[in-house]
Amino acid sequence: MTINNSLASKVTDLLSGLSDHGSQHLTEVESDLIQTNALLTEAIEKLSASFMAIHAAVIEQQHMVDGLATGMLVSPEATSALKAKSTLIDQHVNAAVTGLQFQDMTNQLIGRTLRRVVGFRDLLEVTGTSSIAIPIDASNEQLHGILTHINETLKTESQDLEKELWKAVCQTHMESGDIELF
Amino acid sequence: MAKTILAVDDSGSLRQMVVFSLRAAGYQVTEAIDGQDGLDKAQAQIFDLVLTDQNMPRMDGFSLIRALRALPTYQKVPILMLTTESSDEMKAKGRAAGANGWLVKPFDPQRLTEVVKKVIG
Repeated sequence: MTINNSLASKVTDLLSGLSDHGSQHLTEVESDLIQTNALLTEAIEKLSASFMAIHAAVIEQQHMVDGLATGMLVSPEATSALKAKSTLIDQHVNAAVTGLQFQDMTNQLIGRTLRRVVGFRDLLEVTGTSSIAIPIDASNEQLHGILTHINETLKTESQDLEKELWKAVCQTHMESGDIELF
Repeated sequence: MAKTILAVDDSGSLRQMVVFSLRAAGYQVTEAIDGQDGLDKAQAQIFDLVLTDQNMPRMDGFSLIRALRALPTYQKVPILMLTTESSDEMKAKGRAAGANGWLVKPFDPQRLTEVVKKVIG
């Protein structure tokens, strides 16, 4: 193999490795952001629907109460209707409280995304720092060694970064989770 | 006298929802912002139930549970985990640490209240 071919091969490996690692992390970033967006969208929809329903129910209940206050007789039907409205309100409040928990999960996802971005930036910095250290008149052997080291460093640091980014949030819907008593 | 609950979570909004749900059911709820804060508060007062998240700064949920179980006053106190984690692996770790139950977020207030009532009345 000629010197040019050897150099070309290593540069290709380096660029390919940088591309693969970059693509891997950016793909995860994209996945987290898509998931975050889906949770946010569903949570906001649920919150909006629940609170609109609560608002409508409360208004209607207030009309009933106003009617009672002006001296209307309290019929069994009205009492029954008031109880039904109260139950409905409780259901919507429960749904709203469940929905309001989205911020905890999306915050964790965003936090993980940010840690990955920072880690990836540090990883790329290794490449930049190492390339600056390559002597302009480096022999093929020197280049071979340096570029091999860069590749190994990139692989190790990428794996280390992945180990630090345990995915604690796998929810893709805002339905309440399972409960298990041991 | 109302039963007392220690709610440990680094998410303020999550704690707010836990407090809202359980106080409405008549429980007295104390908040802790992370595992270390939870341990400090648990040592200052004996709670009837501890409800804790897993992933928190300073001290995570498993570490908090192990620390509580090392205290004579908390060997029998029910400890439930309330966390986004849902894997069997994590549940097994929680159980091994000393947790009595596992609730996956998000929680439904009615279901949360029912399980708390089942555990401490």
